[in-house]
Amino acid sequence: MKKLHRRSFLKGGLAGGAAIAAVGTSKHAEAAGSFGGYPDSMGVLVDLTKCVGCRTCEAACNKEQGLPAPDKSFDDPSVFEEKREGGLPRRTTEKAYTVVQKYDVPGREHPLFRKVQCNHCNEPACLTSCFVNAYKKTPEGAVMYDPTVCVGCRTCMIACPFYIPAYSYSSAINPVVKKCIMCYDTRLKFGKPPACVEACPQEVMTFGKRKDLLKLAHQRISEKPEAYVDHVYGENEVGGTAWMYLSDVPFDKIGYDTHLGDQPIISYVKEFLAIVPMVLTIWPALFTGFHLLSNRKDALKNEDNKS
Amino acid sequence: MNSLKSQGFAPVVSHRKKDGSEWTVKEKLMLGLSPKEYMAVQLRNPFNWVLWAIYAVGLPILVGRFIFGLGWVTHSSYDYPWGLFLGWGLFVMVPLSASGFMMGTTVELFGRKDFKSIERLGLLNGLLGYLFAVMFLQVDLGQPWRLIYPMFVSLGPAAVLFLVAWHVATYLSCQVAELVPAFAEWMDFPKAKQFIKKIVLGLTVAGIILSTLHQGALGALFTYAPGKVHPLWYSSSFQWFQFFVSAVFAGLSMLIVVSTLTKWFMRWRCDETYLNNLSKLTLGLAKGASLALITYLVIKIIGIAHDNDWQYLASGWGAWFMFEMVVGVILPLIIYTMAVRNSNASLARFGAFLAVFGLALNRLNTALITFNWQLYQEIPHWREVVIVVTVYATYIVVYRAVLARMPILYTWKENK
Amino acid sequence: MGGRKKTLMGMAALMLLTAPAGAQSWAADGPGTVELGSLANHYSAVTFDHAMHVGVAANCAECHHHTTGLAPTDPNCVRCHEAGAQARSVACKDCHSDKRFSAEDLEKTGGNPQLYHKGKPGLKGAYHQKCLGCHTTMGGPTGCQDCHTRNDQGDAFFHSGKYAPAPKASGGHGGGH
Ligand code: SF4
Ligand code: SF4
Ligand code: SF4
Repeated sequence: MKKLHRRSFLKGGLAGGAAIAAVGTSKHAEAAGSFGGYPDSMGVLVDLTKCVGCRTCEAACNKEQGLPAPDKSFDDPSVFEEKREGGLPRRTTEKAYTVVQKYDVPGREHPLFRKVQCNHCNEPACLTSCFVNAYKKTPEGAVMYDPTVCVGCRTCMIACPFYIPAYSYSSAINPVVKKCIMCYDTRLKFGKPPACVEACPQEVMTFGKRKDLLKLAHQRISEKPEAYVDHVYGENEVGGTAWMYLSDVPFDKIGYDTHLGDQPIISYVKEFLAIVPMVLTIWPALFTGFHLLSNRKDALKNEDNKS
Repeated sequence: MNSLKSQGFAPVVSHRKKDGSEWTVKEKLMLGLSPKEYMAVQLRNPFNWVLWAIYAVGLPILVGRFIFGLGWVTHSSYDYPWGLFLGWGLFVMVPLSASGFMMGTTVELFGRKDFKSIERLGLLNGLLGYLFAVMFLQVDLGQPWRLIYPMFVSLGPAAVLFLVAWHVATYLSCQVAELVPAFAEWMDFPKAKQFIKKIVLGLTVAGIILSTLHQGALGALFTYAPGKVHPLWYSSSFQWFQFFVSAVFAGLSMLIVVSTLTKWFMRWRCDETYLNNLSKLTLGLAKGASLALITYLVIKIIGIAHDNDWQYLASGWGAWFMFEMVVGVILPLIIYTMAVRNSNASLARFGAFLAVFGLALNRLNTALITFNWQLYQEIPHWREVVIVVTVYATYIVVYRAVLARMPILYTWKENK
Repeated sequence: MGGRKKTLMGMAALMLLTAPAGAQSWAADGPGTVELGSLANHYSAVTFDHAMHVGVAANCAECHHHTTGLAPTDPNCVRCHEAGAQARSVACKDCHSDKRFSAEDLEKTGGNPQLYHKGKPGLKGAYHQKCLGCHTTMGGPTGCQDCHTRNDQGDAFFHSGKYAPAPKASGGHGGGH
């Protein structure tokens, strides 16, 4: 909770002006990366080995979030063959906060299904890149978005390493970012698991405290080492995520980016943020000095001329 | 207009006509021509025909963007949230407009009064570039009417874009202030000019700070996407510095380009001081640009070595990278050096065109072409291209209009 | 693969199946059929032919783990649960909660450091994982509606049947027609 205070302090104290604000920026950056998330935040463990691709989760999300009617029925398997540009499987859109993808893995008897939605990062890139502070990480673990302040610069979409936030480009009047909010305001807030978690007939997803889920994940792996690859995706990726994954197929074979590293995205921006206060303090003195120097020459010249 | 001048037409250079009476503002706006003559001049100019054609197609589409939304003019890509509007309008326009702070620094801070005759062009190039970068931003933002939210409504001070927003806004006002003297002379407001004179040092220093930071910040924006920008165009440690240094040579080169264009197409408006000094100043700018180019080249190499990206040079992306570096950096560097050594201003001008091209290619590569290099290549929607051309055409129109009127390329002759 | 996949797709259930004691008919050493579905909301109840499955399964432990007195099939379970003792109850719902996501259950499974079976599925998960797991390997039906018919509410939920989106309504329904 201390961290939270630091953040709100920054927010309040920096309204003054650009210069001060920029100094504050770097303070935040120094501390960034050490923020390991709220200790008791909730999470979801997704066991991909259990998913049968029924898309009940998609239907549940659609209903819970009041999303527009889908283009195809939720029991229509032909969506698995749909490709977006680049031959890539479908992704989250302004109409679907979660999608199930199908991977035909050579040597695996059945296709592997993968549910995609916001991973609710511990130190979210979307949040740290937003210049109107539209995102918020709640102590419960959800990464929330406030559409009433969003300007629509879409930097969060650039920053999200998982390609999650979508934008309602179709709206001219009120386009906003659309993404999974872990059912925060209707369920998570009240201690209830997200709609998709509860709807899944296979109970692919386990809901609980993130730290408990991690133990559970490693327990599953050690109990059945032959059934899982020894990696809990999301345990450390980009500083850890609230949604984590178990799989029997190496993650890089099923569309997961395994090169993201363990540093939160903001840590890559730190080097720039660190120079901001330097420039702000050193430059004025430096360049005024230059000016005085060059003018001294002029002044001397003038005196020479006079004499 | 050039032909008019050769026929003996004398453009406005002071408040008084030849016969001693004062020009009215309306007359000044019409360049001292009669309305009929003015129209005739406009209609005769083939460049205007091109502009009209652009507007005929572009204006309806630009209006459509605000009626039907971004989805109508772009591919509504979730994977490529930034398209040409920002790729060209922000990331290319802003560094090409870095001339403002550099001319301010050279003349006002370092006391190089010899650059005085091109200082105002540099300042104007900066101001208009930034102004239109903001225009492009307004086209691109989902909710442009919330532009001031990061300033006053909901602040995200830990974000790089926050810094860009504040700095571009502050810097724009700095640049407006720096150009007040030109406007004041033209409008005959001597007080305003005197006031700016008093604070010009402060404005200039502020300009350097703001420019260093936001030019760098534009680069730092991409450090949010470590996996998305190709490693050859990405450097967590040096991105901001690369963007800043390239803005230095880009701003100077753009100034050479623009001054060349004025020399070719607006000679009627340039006075003797400007024209006579131009070659010498071009070489001066070329020298500055070549220093920035060599610095840039070195930090590009350091960036690659630091992240150990050498293996990528052997790929197709590597070849593309080499193309950018050779045509956009090394070649202009060589040309500038030769030009300075042989005092060949035309050669320097050629180098400037290349350097500007190199800068544009670098920014488009970072923001669009190599972005998502592991996914697929997005080709902008044709309407997006049309809008970019339309807004850019407006930039040129405004640029030309200001140059034709205010004392930028010529020195105002005070009364008496 | 296509056909099975298709049926798999249809496999969907937003129902909590329970086995109410009143709805059982008894065969020799177990219930003959079991009516599963007092909490169904998107599908109608399932009539489970227990007697038939007794004939198909290798032994009771295949489904009932360690509760029937036989050694569990999973070597992991054998470490603690050896053959011998029969459990007080062998009904699925007595171990697999039909309120898996209720506050009490979440508290019980999440907060208790003593609890070993933390990831134990609820009743719905247990059914589907067990049934579908076996049906997949044994070639049993795997479509949702192979086992339970979807009701009107279910159609609405899936935007299917008469609730299907207009233009591409034909897109291939999975599981039982
Ligand atoms: S509801 Fe469960 S089994 Fe069905 S697709 Fe979603 S995660 Fe997979
Ligand atoms: S997955 Fe993307 S959108 Fe979700 S919290 Fe992380 S950075 Fe933000
Ligand atoms: S958590 Fe809620 S919003 Fe997110 S995918 Fe699941 S149902 Fe949808």
